[in-house]
Amino acid sequence: MLDGVRQTGVNEWEVPVGYVPGMRVTGKFFLSESLGCSLESGAIEQLANVATLPGIIRHSLAMPDIHWGYGFPIGGVAAFTLDEGVISPGGVGFDINCGVRLLTTPLIQKDISGRRDLIEELFRAVPTGVGGKSSLRISPPDLERMMIKGASWAVDAGYGTKRDLVRCEDGGYMKLADSHAVSAKAKQRGVPQGGTLGSGNHFLEMQVVSEIFDPDAAEAFGLRLGEICCMIHCGSRGLGHQVCTDHLKLLETATKKYHITIPDRQLACAPITSPEGKDYFGAMAASANYAWANRQLITHTVRQVLSKMFKIDYDDMPLVYDVAHNVAKFEEHEVDGKRMNVCVHRKGATRAFGPESDVLPFDLKSIGQPVIIPGSMGTSSFVLRGTKTAMEKTFGSTCHGAGRIMSRTQAKKQLSGKDITANLLKAGIIVRAHSDNAIADEAPEVYKSSDEVVNVVHDVGISRLVARLSPLGVIKG
Amino acid sequence: MSFEEISHTADVKIRARALTLDALFTEAFLALMQVVYGTDRQPGTIKEIQIESDNIESLLCDFLSEVLFIAEVEGLVFSQADIKIDGLHLTAILDGESFDPLRHSSGTEVKGISYSGLVIQKDANGYMLDILFDV
Repeated sequence: MLDGVRQTGVNEWEVPVGYVPGMRVTGKFFLSESLGCSLESGAIEQLANVATLPGIIRHSLAMPDIHWGYGFPIGGVAAFTLDEGVISPGGVGFDINCGVRLLTTPLIQKDISGRRDLIEELFRAVPTGVGGKSSLRISPPDLERMMIKGASWAVDAGYGTKRDLVRCEDGGYMKLADSHAVSAKAKQRGVPQGGTLGSGNHFLEMQVVSEIFDPDAAEAFGLRLGEICCMIHCGSRGLGHQVCTDHLKLLETATKKYHITIPDRQLACAPITSPEGKDYFGAMAASANYAWANRQLITHTVRQVLSKMFKIDYDDMPLVYDVAHNVAKFEEHEVDGKRMNVCVHRKGATRAFGPESDVLPFDLKSIGQPVIIPGSMGTSSFVLRGTKTAMEKTFGSTCHGAGRIMSRTQAKKQLSGKDITANLLKAGIIVRAHSDNAIADEAPEVYKSSDEVVNVVHDVGISRLVARLSPLGVIKG
Repeated sequence: MSFEEISHTADVKIRARALTLDALFTEAFLALMQVVYGTDRQPGTIKEIQIESDNIESLLCDFLSEVLFIAEVEGLVFSQADIKIDGLHLTAILDGESFDPLRHSSGTEVKGISYSGLVIQKDANGYMLDILFDV
């Protein structure tokens, strides 16, 4: 493990105050010894930087998929008091509400194994990659409604079912969204991209439930061994990227105005209660809602393709859950024995609320929130459930994915997209992308083992394993 | 004058060198276009933009963010730029072509231009830049 970092328990580590100047609280992260080999000092410095922000509560936290990002590290979580705390786009990221959702189907492995025609049809139906444009005609008034009502707009417009909304974090929309704080530029980018996947690590994957760890939770989530699921990973597209760009600039001025000292310009921030802070929150929530609507639109397209090809009823492809990975939210948590409203930033981290949480749907209340952890292209994804321990240790948060360990430069030098595609095909996984580069960029080798990452959060208890999902067909953005 | 991609785990880190600030900004611009659209980019359509910022780092971030915006909403892929910086005011004549999915899909979208690790330095050999693109 890196110098200056202290072990405080099994898979638990502390970054002491003083690691960087101005830290108000300690840093805390969860990592196994073996995953610690790939930990970058830049990520720990970023974790320590977050600890310097005003109003931070308890610790600057990072999950075991921690890696070097900008502003907050990827995998970073921090909660702030509402009276003294700040809000920062560096704790959310450019891709606001990048997130993931999972649908189940009544299909089994032999129905789709080797079905390249299915992957080609999905690739044709869901716009992906650089320059991917929607075939939907989203009007400016539709866009306004997307930003205010999120997935609920999509369902009202016929792109889903009411039940889908019950199975989305926050019911698929944040109530404090303010579309007036979203620039004309951001809106211009949002109109043609509704229903598009994007590129980079975004994907759409057909998977099979290959292992059940927790039968009761799996049953409650609708997951059955051997059945086919579809996982969708994308975010708020150019609209969210522009909101982050615009508000970073505005908040940079605010940082000076409110005399806040920051160690990294990407941590530009403003008091949560300031006009600038409220504007960013409103615009960020509008972008988050756009992302939920976007995933709902893609879900609709996937259901249409599967309905047509396999004669499945639309309602037989229910949503397990939809979680946000990059977001700041007002949530009630217990701090020093008192319940209080705080602003939780999750940057590459997943909400993982435990049983009895008020925000869970009735039928999941005794189990905890479904947590969906995508793996890399050739490796397993996982479904976990939120826990009471997460509420106590991490403001109800857990990891969001495997976490990269190899740069894109290295990946392109060392790996060939064609070889990766051929090797995955031998393992029964069909991969489709616009370019070989996109495949090399996101090869299984560039990520930590998703098994190791979820084992850490399971062992620490901040979420518990429910099921393993193995990939059969992947569409890379 | 040159730019290269430096190893960075999550994102794309670019290091560029140039004799003048105008040329340094041009390298950053070319790097951005190459990351998003690949190497097959032709001139033909001209676009002029003007940017003013509070400091030189912001001028670069604001300029590249504006390029990303124009490229996306106007469906343009740029191959050349004539950039003039006067204090904290930038004028750029961008030259490019319409987005062609067959030739311009080998890259990856850049979500934003990051201030983390952004360095613009002047030394005896000219200017040096480190910049991170979020992908």
